[in-house]
Amino acid sequence: MYTLGIDIGSSSSKAVILEDGQRTVAEAAVQVGTGTSGPSRVLEEVFAGTGLTRADMAFTVATGYGRFSIEGADKQISEITCHAKGIHHLIPDARTIIDIGGQDAKAIQLDSRGNISKFVMNDKCAAGTGRFLDVMSRVLEIPLDKMGEAHFRATEVAPVSSTCTVFAESEVISQLSKGLPRENIVAGVHQSVASKACALAYRVGVEPAVVMCGGVAQNPGVVDAMEKELGQSIIVAPHPQLTGALGAALLAYETWKKEHQA
Amino acid sequence: MRTVSEIVAQLRQVADDPKGSVARWQKETGGRAVGVMPVYCPEEIIHAAGCLPVGMWGAQKKQISKARTYLPPFACSVMQSVMELELEGAYDDLAAVVFSVPCDTLKCMSQKWHGKAPIITFTHPQNRKAAQSAANVFCREEYAILKAKLEDLLDVRISSAALKNSIAVYNANRQACRAFCDAAARHPELISPADRHAVIKARWFMEKSQHTALVQELNAALDAAPVVPFSGKKVILTGILAEPAEVLDIFAENGFAVVADDLAQESRNFRQDVPEDDDPLMALAKAWTALDGCSLAVDPDKPRGKMLVDEVKRTGADAVIVCMMKFCDPEEFDYPILLEEFEAAGVRNLFLEIDQETTSFEQARTRIQTFAEIL
Amino acid sequence: MDINVNEATSKELLAYYQAKLDQEAIEAKKAGKLVCWSASVAPPEFCVAMDIAMVYPETHAAGAGARKASMDLLKVADQKGYNIDVCSYARTNLGYMELLKQEALSGQTPDTLANSKATRVPLPDLVITCNNICNTLLKWYENLAKELNIPCIVIDVPFNHTMPVSKHNKAYIAEQFRTAIHQLEEICGRPFDYDKFLAAQEQVQRSVYQWNRVAACAQQTPSPLNGFDLFNYMALIVCARARDYAEITFRKFADELEAKAKAGQYAFGGAENEKHRITWEGIAVWPYLGATFKGLKNQGSVMTGSAYPGLWNLTYTPGDLESMAEAYTNVYINTCGPNRYEEFLKVVQSSKSEGVVLHLNRSCKLMSLLNNEGAEYVSAKLGVPYVSFDGDQTDPRVFSQAQYETRVQALSEMMDEKQQDTGRDEK
Repeated sequence: MYTLGIDIGSSSSKAVILEDGQRTVAEAAVQVGTGTSGPSRVLEEVFAGTGLTRADMAFTVATGYGRFSIEGADKQISEITCHAKGIHHLIPDARTIIDIGGQDAKAIQLDSRGNISKFVMNDKCAAGTGRFLDVMSRVLEIPLDKMGEAHFRATEVAPVSSTCTVFAESEVISQLSKGLPRENIVAGVHQSVASKACALAYRVGVEPAVVMCGGVAQNPGVVDAMEKELGQSIIVAPHPQLTGALGAALLAYETWKKEHQA
Repeated sequence: MRTVSEIVAQLRQVADDPKGSVARWQKETGGRAVGVMPVYCPEEIIHAAGCLPVGMWGAQKKQISKARTYLPPFACSVMQSVMELELEGAYDDLAAVVFSVPCDTLKCMSQKWHGKAPIITFTHPQNRKAAQSAANVFCREEYAILKAKLEDLLDVRISSAALKNSIAVYNANRQACRAFCDAAARHPELISPADRHAVIKARWFMEKSQHTALVQELNAALDAAPVVPFSGKKVILTGILAEPAEVLDIFAENGFAVVADDLAQESRNFRQDVPEDDDPLMALAKAWTALDGCSLAVDPDKPRGKMLVDEVKRTGADAVIVCMMKFCDPEEFDYPILLEEFEAAGVRNLFLEIDQETTSFEQARTRIQTFAEIL
Repeated sequence: MDINVNEATSKELLAYYQAKLDQEAIEAKKAGKLVCWSASVAPPEFCVAMDIAMVYPETHAAGAGARKASMDLLKVADQKGYNIDVCSYARTNLGYMELLKQEALSGQTPDTLANSKATRVPLPDLVITCNNICNTLLKWYENLAKELNIPCIVIDVPFNHTMPVSKHNKAYIAEQFRTAIHQLEEICGRPFDYDKFLAAQEQVQRSVYQWNRVAACAQQTPSPLNGFDLFNYMALIVCARARDYAEITFRKFADELEAKAKAGQYAFGGAENEKHRITWEGIAVWPYLGATFKGLKNQGSVMTGSAYPGLWNLTYTPGDLESMAEAYTNVYINTCGPNRYEEFLKVVQSSKSEGVVLHLNRSCKLMSLLNNEGAEYVSAKLGVPYVSFDGDQTDPRVFSQAQYETRVQALSEMMDEKQQDTGRDEK
């Protein structure tokens, strides 16, 4: 039997199809989120070539900001629980999860059974989230997917101290006008995101293994800055953008099983 | 006998429409309304003057625009919304407005009033334990001055007998509210978190004996209802206030029942009665120095955490939800200490940011749902 | 380190006494004597009378900010759950306290503490707080007392919603002074030393006298005093006003300034370099003290006015508790708007300022939330332009140099225009 997990975030849509709660049959990600064509496109993509349809899904769990807008979902579960589930499945040793998404950053503490014992989220401010990186990438004229490369070419870190996105933008602009190398500023931007996200991690308590997921984990520059800030190594979840959808599909399987045993 | 939902509906109407409720009272009695800013105004003095004390707790779903001229973004959300309402003239029909100044933001707010109603400011003493008798004397004098200013402004005399009577009226209301909180905890299937909030909030916009009568009627209806098993989770709310109502609805959606609160807008006002004293002003003063567990009432012993842990034990609550008013520094100072005490006592807890201006509840929904999933 | 008090400059004296105060506190702790952490405008007279070593967290935090050492400490507070919106002096200090506490409990110095550029001070045995400059100090000290399980002496000076200071207000504060004396007798286990208390009160009066002498130098045109120096010298009026350290240093400083003026030397050197005089309202932006100073200096603007140093103008009659009570409550930000604005007007007037710079300090609601009203009042009376900028006293993340420079330049341009209009005599 098959289960489907759909994760509709603020800036991307993800889906995973699982067979018997074990094997990933298909996965897909589309880089636009809730309120756009993202949800329908990601569903098209995930089913493409599998020979399966929505009707073949025994149970569907939706997660992410757009979880209540998905028609036909059997259950909505928060993305925190889903990420925790997905990560525990992939990396059973994980005790601390840092998930940086488009507009939220979260730190989650897991116990040895993979249950969430504590979690904290960012406040409303965009600092320390994907949105902050979007703004800085535009100001620096470096595409988001090239920020990681630029980071490792930095000769030193040009610190970006302001937490306010507007102030940080003007700080970056003034560093550019002073002629500082872009790469060094990129490293500073990553350090700023890392320091904000690590503050959340400290609040739940940092225990190894530390795993990063969410779209921002795809940026090796941020991961590097986080490792330096925490003083320990970080495992980046495989397909870090998809762990929420994977967790949703796993939870769909568990729920289905529970309902059918009862 | 009316049903629970009928009585709740009536109180919800009051809570949802303060202006209409005040207007109704004025039409019935011909009396005047006096605004009371948060927090802990000795309302009994206003009541004894024959006026209706009206709570000023901002408003929900308000777009803050005009207030931006007068307040930086780091003033708390209730004060942003009060300032917006001031500028819109929402308080202009009040005969007077009474300000207490237990935090730095309120001190400043009392000095930049933009409404038309005249204001009276008084200061609560804060050395409430080590220098209690001196604090009582000072507080009594502040209340006496407040009383004199009100008498002057409203052109009425407030007799000692009238004040004693008002204290009795208020104590009866406090008792009824406490009984309601317990009854609501027994009947989460009948009283949703939003209902509970509305029943209590209504006391800010009604003459207290009228509120008491309704709450007593409600309590009787609740007592008559059979107790049914509850499958959801029981929580205690702590903070300044728990609004907008959408947040409370998210609690309900996730199967939470509020079994007690420690909110400045709710239980902190009626946890204790005003004590007996021959001098009614002194009785009111003593009520202030005896008030425990509020971030705005200074006490180096900081008993709030212990009080909450005890309350969790008493009510059998599954968790405490910290409703953190954005930019309220007294509450923000209490939080790390609470956190330590919750951890030590093994009390599960959730941090929830409260902002009256909130238009998007997605993050709150995620937090609350996750919390429900892990409890 | 030793110093020849007669030959040393005031700057050397300032550095010497600041280090000496910290050293004395450390030695007191070692010797098993009591150490008290105190709010900056809380009365030190009581503790000094009982030979208790004093440490001032606000000054310590400001110093950490100026040495760019606050960020590490702020992070510790972040981890404890302190919201980034809380006063950054408090967060810096609570972070520092946390590290000291960890060290005391484990016997091991945490790396953050070992590597910190903040000056080393010992943990307190008691704390004393006073809310004449904000209620934040009440909450902050509650937490210190709770975290360390030590006594907290509270001097509550109620907000003066009407002026002059009322009788019952003074009586209440005086009564708390008596309570504080009893608390100290209990903590120290011996009777209060009233002779030393009187001596401390008299010392405070002499310190304040010399402090006011320094501040008055800025009233001369051109000004020999660069107002930013007051931010630095302030450390001693805070930490040592009940000791002769402050008096000695300020006397020397005032003498130097008077000699400087006589020699035709002013804040920016020659008289012609003083293009404008401005009043600065609010606490310094410690992590960017140099940048904020240079931003003004580049425009030829000398800071001659600031209401902030006046907080320590604690003039009273020694031996009279009610007079002392009045001095401690009559601090301009603890009074109603009309009085506060009038006091601010006096500062702008007496410093002959042509413009006002307002620090919209995220840490300090009490100073920031009525900034504009005060400036409006002054502007209406004197026609003086003002600008406001966003900043914070010790959190380096809340300041934008670009914004600051633009605003300060705009102010300078406004002052230029006014000068042309009124034809201020060319120098």
